[in-house]
Amino acid sequence: MTKQIVIDPISRIEGHAKITIHLDEQGVVHNAYFHVTQFRGFEKLCVGRPFYEMPSLMARICGICPVSHLIASAKACDALLAVRIPQTADKLRRILNLAQIIQSHALSFFHLSSPDFLLGMDSEPAKRNLFGVMRAKPELARDGIRLRQFGQQVIELLGGKRIHPAWVVPGGVSEPLSVAHRDQILAGLPECISIGERTLHWFKSLLDKYRDEIKSFGNFPSLFLGLVKPDGRIAFYEGKLRVVDAAGNIVADQLEAAAYQAHIAEAVEPWTYLKFPYYKPLGYHEGMYRVGPLARLNISDRCGTARADQELAEFHELQRTAVLSSFYFHYARLIEILFAVERLEQILTDPEILDRHVRAFARPNSNEGVGVAEAPRGTLIHHYRVDENGLITWVNLVIATGHNNLAMNRAVLQVAKRYVNGQRLSEGMLNRVEAVIRAYDPCLSCSTHAAGQMPLQIQLVSPEGKVVDEIRRG
Amino acid sequence: MLIIAYGNPLRGDDGVAWHIAEQLAAAQGQSPLKILTRHQLTPELAEAISQANLVIFVDASVGQPPGTISCVPVGPEMADQSSHQFDPASLMFCAREIYGSAPKALLCTIAGEDFGYEERLSPTILAAMPKLLQRIRALIAAHEESN
Repeated sequence: MTKQIVIDPISRIEGHAKITIHLDEQGVVHNAYFHVTQFRGFEKLCVGRPFYEMPSLMARICGICPVSHLIASAKACDALLAVRIPQTADKLRRILNLAQIIQSHALSFFHLSSPDFLLGMDSEPAKRNLFGVMRAKPELARDGIRLRQFGQQVIELLGGKRIHPAWVVPGGVSEPLSVAHRDQILAGLPECISIGERTLHWFKSLLDKYRDEIKSFGNFPSLFLGLVKPDGRIAFYEGKLRVVDAAGNIVADQLEAAAYQAHIAEAVEPWTYLKFPYYKPLGYHEGMYRVGPLARLNISDRCGTARADQELAEFHELQRTAVLSSFYFHYARLIEILFAVERLEQILTDPEILDRHVRAFARPNSNEGVGVAEAPRGTLIHHYRVDENGLITWVNLVIATGHNNLAMNRAVLQVAKRYVNGQRLSEGMLNRVEAVIRAYDPCLSCSTHAAGQMPLQIQLVSPEGKVVDEIRRG
Repeated sequence: MLIIAYGNPLRGDDGVAWHIAEQLAAAQGQSPLKILTRHQLTPELAEAISQANLVIFVDASVGQPPGTISCVPVGPEMADQSSHQFDPASLMFCAREIYGSAPKALLCTIAGEDFGYEERLSPTILAAMPKLLQRIRALIAAHEESN
């Protein structure tokens, strides 16, 4: 005779999901599941479309990370064309990708998660939101808005608009960068560096306060996966796959990302629309790995920029092994913001960045193409097949959030076991279960964040169907 | 003065504010009017709001007979601070709290009739649009006179 707690929907994430927590007769948690309850079907609706439409079509997957899909899709199309795109186009795409990292990480850290850190996990839910942050620490809200605004401005300056820019195309980009736009972006960098540094300083000062959450927020051994450069530096646009274990040892390195199917398989469960990728050599469950900011910092030897390298060294000192707690996703996100801003300066001060040759033209020269890049949430894979007319016959997308599915489920269970008292529900308990999911910053629909009232209802239901306890929000 | 026209132009009457913005821009002349079109309101707009001396939000509305025109004051004190939604009042609150200034603001709406998947406006809304345009222009003129 078991009971079940349902958290539906989870608030302050992108997309729609619910959590179910299963209790035994004594009210002790024995299982927990993270269910993604929406279905998109993009892999099917693209079949029959001309391949060159794919970047624009794929951008429509997501209003938060259209740029990430544009980049991965364009890279897959480059592979279909079998062309080497102009170096300047390559660099311009990198700028766009870094701007996306900045704006998306700012949204996650400042808008979605900072209410938990600033106001406390147990604070009043009606005030635990961005408005509460504005009241309690307006400069933090201002910094978050500014960073996100900067990232979006860069995307707009390059791509023509902030959401779904059509500037990234198979073979490169459609327009070169102007001097005025380059200078405008460069002028904004010092302020972003300052914001990144002071936010990191503030967040690090909070870590002692959240020692208990750090211990129990998805703190378990797993593999970590992502792209790195040949010398082990962090990679966002171009690199090869590296897999690191919980002890920090490199399990596999310099794997061709295009051959991802040799290393990654996807399992399916009947209770969620999100697949479960795993590292093939270790099998389902044992092959659980994490991607995204925490993984990228765990697998990278260095960043290659002064400030971020200093922060990375400090980050690696958190544990002798890989850094395991998912709470540190937030910390890693801030380091990546700092890196992205520094890296933008490096790329933008390269004289070649203004070169006007930014696109290669060709007909399809291959019937299969894979594009891989690091999205804010982790490794994003687009894989297409086309017929002799260049029409799409098959698509496989492995979305960054999907890679973390096994780990998110494990994390929810760990937090529920630590905090949930099956005899009596509390708001703080509920929020911690949600907060561990927010640490991963899942983009479940890979579509726009559900703005609006986020109602929440949790019921403790007896096996006979009687509501034993209930919490409502919104 | 700042006009923030928002809605989804791919959802029929929900895009009415974009059409209003287009007409205001076409007849703007030398007027110091800043016009922004957005699909939705986001916190990034708060800074521009804090720097204006009059803000007019333009949107479609629901719940009234189609074509109904409304212009009502909106201020930071009207914000629902317990939600995750950004509406005009929330943005005014945001402007006041983090940028230190919330100017006079109005929300001007036309009640929509058809919010289906199309770029055209319904005949009812097309017929009501000139009336709202006239109302907004009168508000702008009155504000210019008083300053």
